[in-house]
Formats: sequence, C-alpha cells, structure tokens
Amino acid sequence: MSERALTEDQRDALQEVANLAMGQAATRLARLLDAFIELSVPRVRVVGVSEAAQTLREMTGIQDTVSAVRQGFRSDIKGEALVICRSDSIEQLCSLVSDPYSRSAYEAVSQQELVFDVANVLTGACVSSILDQLGRTPVFSAPGLLGEAMTLEEVFQPGVLQWEVALLVEVNFALEDQSFRAHLVMLMAEESIRHMNGALDALLSSL
Amino acid sequence: MTVSVDSLSDLVVERVGFGIFVLDREMNVLMWNRFMQDHSGLPAEQMVGKSLFTHFPELPRVWLARKIESVFQLGSFAFSSWEQRPYLFKFDHDRPITGGVDFMQQDCTFMPLMRDREVVAVCVTISDVTHVSIVQREREEAVAKLQEYADRDGLTGIANRRFFEARLRDEYTRWQRYGGDMSVLLFDLDHFKKINDQFGHGVGDTVLRVMAQRVAGVVRAQDTFGRFGGEEFALLLPCTPLDDAMRVAEKIRCTIADTPVEVQGTSVPVTASVGVAAARVGAPAYDVLINEADAALYSAKRQGRNRSVAFV
Repeated sequence: MSERALTEDQRDALQEVANLAMGQAATRLARLLDAFIELSVPRVRVVGVSEAAQTLREMTGIQDTVSAVRQGFRSDIKGEALVICRSDSIEQLCSLVSDPYSRSAYEAVSQQELVFDVANVLTGACVSSILDQLGRTPVFSAPGLLGEAMTLEEVFQPGVLQWEVALLVEVNFALEDQSFRAHLVMLMAEESIRHMNGALDALLSSL
Repeated sequence: MTVSVDSLSDLVVERVGFGIFVLDREMNVLMWNRFMQDHSGLPAEQMVGKSLFTHFPELPRVWLARKIESVFQLGSFAFSSWEQRPYLFKFDHDRPITGGVDFMQQDCTFMPLMRDREVVAVCVTISDVTHVSIVQREREEAVAKLQEYADRDGLTGIANRRFFEARLRDEYTRWQRYGGDMSVLLFDLDHFKKINDQFGHGVGDTVLRVMAQRVAGVVRAQDTFGRFGGEEFALLLPCTPLDDAMRVAEKIRCTIADTPVEVQGTSVPVTASVGVAAARVGAPAYDVLINEADAALYSAKRQGRNRSVAFV
C-alpha cells in the first residue's frame, strides 16, 4: 500500500480536508485552552505501516526517541490515532494544558494524566475535524501510552499495531512564544481507507 | 403487545451495569440512571435540575469543569482512567476488603451528545473497574516479591552474587565517571570444610547464617553485602578509600572471630580471612577489582588466616 492507494484527485481532496480540519481544530483548541495556538498547514502522506517510520523520519527529521500516545476512533472509517512528540518535548506538550491545580498540593494532577489529557485534546480536535469534513461522527476510546522513550521504528514495529495503512498528518503546534512539534498519525486498515476513498469521492462529486 | 424503541432505550439505561448521567454546560444534572442512584443513595428526582455539586461538593470542581468544557468546545470525547485518578465518586465496591482498595475504582468517559452538529449535553459514564485494579495491584506485588527473591541468597537472606555484581557494576561505572573512592572486601570463613566435616552440614549452614547476619548488622546502609558462593562473602564500599576499607575489614574480622557460634549446645569458633582492594585509575573493568581483592584474600590465607590484607 502506498500513495497509489489514493488517486491524484482523492489526494488533493484529502489535503484540502486536512487543511480545513486543522483550521477548525486550531480555532477550537484556542477557545478551549484560552491561548493562541497555531497549527501549521498539515503535510499529508498515505503509506504502508512498514514504511511509516522511515517516512515520518524524512518528514520530521526526528532522530531521537519519542513518546507516543495511542487512541482508537470508530465509525465506518475506524483506526487508531497516535500523537507523537520527542521525549524531551513532553513538558512543552503538557504546558498546552496547564495543571489547573498547580498551586494546590491538595488536588494534584500527575504528569501522566496531563499527557493523556493533551493527547486526547489534540486527537479529539484533529481527528473529529477530519472525519467531520467527511461526514462522520466518530466514537473514541480512552488514550493509552504506547511508550515514553521509543525509536520511530519501535512505534511502528509489526505486532504492536494491527493496522496496515498509515495516514501521516504532520502538524506543528505552536503555542504563543514557544514552538514545538507534535505529530499526528492516523492508522487504518485497508477497508477503512476504501471507506475514506468513498467519502472523498462523495465530497469531490458534491463540489 | 408492542414496545416503542424509545422506551426500550430508557429501560436499558435504567438497568445497565454502569453509571450514566448527563450534564449541561453549567454542570446541571439532566439525567441520572439507576446505577448512580444505587451507589450514591440519591434518586434522579433529587439530582435532576440541580448542579452536580449540590449533592457532591467534594468533586474536583476545576478538573471536572475542564473535562466537560473540552467536550463542548471540541465536540470530542474526554476520559479519566483509574490508573491516574482512582475514582470520581466515593462509591462502595463489592470486593473483599483484603483487596486493599478503599472505594470503587472508576473509568470515566465524557461523551458529546450532538444535535445538528452541535453539542447539546455531555453524557458521563462510570465503569466499575475495581476488579481490574485489584488484579493489577496483586500482580505488581507478586512481581516485586519475585524481584526481591531473585536478588536474595536463599540461605542467608543477604544479597546474592548476581545482585552484588550488578550493584558493583553500577557503582564502578559511577566511579569511572565521577571519580572519588570505592573499595571491595572479599572474605572467607577459615577452614569451613572442617566445620562441615566435624559438626555436619546443618551446623555449617547455621554458621553461615549467623555470620552473615552478624556482619550485616555492622555494615553501613549504603554498602552492599552479598554471599559470593560457598563460605565466601563480598562487601561493596562506595566512597571509601583503602585505609578506611582496611578498618572495616578488621571490624568484620573481629565481629566474626570474637564470639564463637552456639549451635545445638556446641560452641563453634570461627575466624575469617579478608582481602581488600580499592579502585585505581587505569583498571578497565569492575572484575579487576574482584580479582585484586581475591588475590589479597589468597595472601591473607597464606600468611596464616584470621587476618586482613590489602592489595597493593
């Protein structure tokens, strides 16, 4: 499975869907987090899972270890979303959702809970927005930690993830004066890609 | 008789085995199912139409408000896992007290209820995962216990050789990086074979156990004391130069030799020979330190036993 999984028209449509979705996600996130959040124009690639690590490395230049949070989403287009960021950027990532109890010893929020919260918020905003553009309303499952210091190869190693196709949506999140990168990857089985192709065709024909 | 599909949904929500309630954006309760009633003792009539905090002022207000708001803003789900936050509501659980869990452990899901692509309310579900948390806790305890056994010598209860060498390797790496001092003692009970032959292996084992406990009682908390095999023991002394290590060696030798071991009414005199070595610049690996302490121990034996010798 490679980029040929999509026709050129479908690919353009998907890029357009991602652009619109990320605009929508940025607006929603900014309102939620009460901070100006900038999302870069997403770079979209569809590759087989076996090529995902190499492709994501080429797209991002990541050589170090990463932390990855996984979260399932379900509609007729279903799969798993990964939020990946460099292990040393975890604290910056968490600063997106400040600890509401940072000045209270009574109500502590663990770093782990913050990581899940922020990954859930990013996944929720981005995946919901993409699927919303395709006319789907997904159901999500709870986020889980894939690993805290893994290489990209370990993230995508066969056997860890059951999906065949990776829709790589590479987005930079920038928060006011500090900028760091987090990457969203949507993994799907081939059947879901077929449903997505159908949805993209429907979108194209409605134009 | 036909039953409308709508009323079936209501019956399911009423009887299903997890908590379901619905909140509006101001945290007012719009729905409250039977599970929530049974566990809180508060029926829907008392809850619906009021703020959730009216009857649950102890709930984490800011945290909960943020969860609910994120669902309204993003039209997406939010979650809370017992692993980060054991429970939201202080509900009793029906597991034995021996599980060591105070309240029902809960996984919570916050779902957007949509009409025309707008979030109109948030549905919260509460799953009882107490059994999962108990199984996981038991497993963690079992693993910790196995780890403990894997590091201990079965006869004497002090560190085994594997654990000792692992600690020595770590300490040696630290010393190579940061410098300072570190020393190792190797000691051996003199003529131990004779004790075994004369009094039997049972007495020999008791001697090993008593000596190990006596020595364990005089070493510092930061030292690692292990059984190296047979009647041979090793002591790792971080941040300790050779002179100080020699003083420790003499203290241990006297601890062993000064008082005979009383076993089954028999007084068994025991002495030990000690070899001491300190880490020196240029040694490539930790096992050099062991070899040098071993050479010093051999020298102590040849010089007549019951003495401490430093490797120079």
